[in-house]
Amino acid sequence: MQKCGLFFTTYNSEDQLFPSTFQKTCLGLFMAAMLAAPCVLDFYYISVMNLIMIAVIGAVSLNLLTGVCGQMSLGHGAFVGVGAYGCAVLASKGLPFLLCLLGGGAMAAIAGMIFGIPSLRLKGIYLAISTLAAQLILEYVFLHWTSFTGGANGMPVDSPEIFGFMFDSDEKMFYLIFAITTVCVLGVSNIVRSRSGRAFVAIRDFYQSAENVGVNLFQYKLQAFATSSFMAGLAGGLWAYYTMYITPEQFSIGLSISYLAMIIIGGMGSVLGSIFGAIFITLLPEVLNTATSLLATVAPEASAMAAPLKEGVFGLTLVLFLIFEPEGLVRKWKLIKAYWKLYPFAY
Amino acid sequence: MIKRILTVTVIMATLLTGSTAFATLKVGVLSDLTGPTSSVGVPYAQGVTDCIAYVNANGGVNGEEIKLIQVDYAYNVQQALSAYKRFKSQGIVALQGWGTGDTEALVRFVSRDRIPVFSASYSAHFMDPKKAPYNFTIAPDYSTQGRAGLKYIKDNWKESRAPKLAFVYPDKPYGLVPLKAMKEYAKELGFEITGDEVLGLKAMDATPQLLALKKQNPDFVWVGGTTPSTAVLMKDAKKLGFGGKFLVNIWGNDENLAKMAGPACEGNFGMQAAAVYGQDVSGMKVIEEQTKGQPQMTHYLRGFVSTLVMVEGMKKAAANGKVTGKSIKEALETMRDYDPMGLAPAISYFPDDHRPSMAVNVCTVKDGKLEFLETVSLPRDDKWLGK
Repeated sequence: MQKCGLFFTTYNSEDQLFPSTFQKTCLGLFMAAMLAAPCVLDFYYISVMNLIMIAVIGAVSLNLLTGVCGQMSLGHGAFVGVGAYGCAVLASKGLPFLLCLLGGGAMAAIAGMIFGIPSLRLKGIYLAISTLAAQLILEYVFLHWTSFTGGANGMPVDSPEIFGFMFDSDEKMFYLIFAITTVCVLGVSNIVRSRSGRAFVAIRDFYQSAENVGVNLFQYKLQAFATSSFMAGLAGGLWAYYTMYITPEQFSIGLSISYLAMIIIGGMGSVLGSIFGAIFITLLPEVLNTATSLLATVAPEASAMAAPLKEGVFGLTLVLFLIFEPEGLVRKWKLIKAYWKLYPFAY
Repeated sequence: MIKRILTVTVIMATLLTGSTAFATLKVGVLSDLTGPTSSVGVPYAQGVTDCIAYVNANGGVNGEEIKLIQVDYAYNVQQALSAYKRFKSQGIVALQGWGTGDTEALVRFVSRDRIPVFSASYSAHFMDPKKAPYNFTIAPDYSTQGRAGLKYIKDNWKESRAPKLAFVYPDKPYGLVPLKAMKEYAKELGFEITGDEVLGLKAMDATPQLLALKKQNPDFVWVGGTTPSTAVLMKDAKKLGFGGKFLVNIWGNDENLAKMAGPACEGNFGMQAAAVYGQDVSGMKVIEEQTKGQPQMTHYLRGFVSTLVMVEGMKKAAANGKVTGKSIKEALETMRDYDPMGLAPAISYFPDDHRPSMAVNVCTVKDGKLEFLETVSLPRDDKWLGK
């Protein structure tokens, strides 16, 4: 919905990411608040924000592949793992942080492209199963390629360092993760607006029509897999640097499902939706934990009974979301915005 | 308005003075109460909680109470990470951890933040202070447990030929970690290794694995699974008339095994680190008092012992000065042959060796009940540290 009084005289101006001054001001304030957060908030909140931002990169990248290009993936967690291990291995060879991060991303992109090849023939649920195979194969590799990944014992990773500055605390890592998340989110927002993005949407909406208007399906599908996996690799690299120790168990099918849940809850095909989804899925267990802890202080007996219900509550929340807001949180957000724009008139 | 401000000020002042008057030592407890390992996580966590209640009722640490901050992380590494950050922001001095995934993910955090962790994951690399300086356990590593089990079998082997040994394990870090060490030691002891079979932790049927094992005809099979998969293996073995005996790792051999496998588990062997409920040891009276005579799983006793040892470290640290994560670690490293009321073999830690002991309890199931057989002790060999 266009703001009242906001008119465009060129296509370029209409196609801006942030067309109004109000949006730019809000974004500026948000960025300022984010930059000030480590000085104000307790490091527990900062660490949760770090986890959310890493999840945002993973969710945004999966949304590009699944939400925008329509290529279902159940192997995203494994691509995150390839990035993490790639980073860790390059870091152990003494390479600087940025090269390791990009190298890890590149390795994940290559893995994504290899496992994306079947996407030319497979669609929907069939592709999902094919990417599930990617998840299982890569998990096997993480566990058994001991000389590369450390096998069952995992791999330690040192804190990142850029020009002698060590990012060795939650607060310092916050700025690093925030910068990379911003670049990734802006990157995906721009890809969606580009020629590739339009081709992705065309493939998602109906692949035959896309092919008829000259979209090279194989090239664009692989491009979607490569770009998405590259960013998943970046998320993996940041995870590795943040936790400082990676093991195969961290990149299981559960992680892939969690990313899928983020984009479904947030809103398929929407960058903002991915962010909402990542925040929601990361915060929900935290909120449930806090609720059960509070309950434990008030009524320990009830808390003991409520603890096993926690997983059920998590599942129930997801189901309720799918029933009552199938287009995700981003639609809710749009409705709220529309409500305030029209307030006090209903129409 | 003024009245409201005054009321809030009074409440705040009361809370603040209250918090200083009752200074406590905070300990984080990372538990799996609802996740995939909750069947053993719940009794272990209960052991931790009951031990703290027992310690607090008996003078705490130099008169200071211990306050537990428990988080159920449902065996999810990401949740473990944020739970740890919450603990740290609340000022914990030590942590009772749980599984392999979270213990590994936290290994460098706890080392950087100087917070000693007692976990129930016994991967060998946690025993090496060079790799994990703030990690402690009250049971020896899986490799040592496996070696002790093999020694027990070999010591009781009466025939002149070499005993044949096979391995069944899940293709998971927990199953794979001790394999190399055990195979090396088995060869040293003179076992004949017949082969390996993979059995998933969620297996519903072990017939293919058992048919392959029957061809190998081993006398003993080391099982690196958890109780459900071990029960499936034993039931199918009985059904197929498999003649070998099973030697089960610590998480596959508890009070639930008899419930799940019935008579099929009778007479097999399993390794444990703590006593069995009701066993004739000095501390059992305390346990029975704490639990009001309600039998508990051996994992409960392990949780109890893990906390008891941590508290002993805190008491030693308090005797040396201030109780901090660093002082607890240093105190623990001077601990020599500490007897946790007989509930587990005596414990010693060294600055360059965090293996609590080299003693492992071998158990069996008799008449549907887990029963202690013997404590097997190995030498504290440096070449085994971390492997």
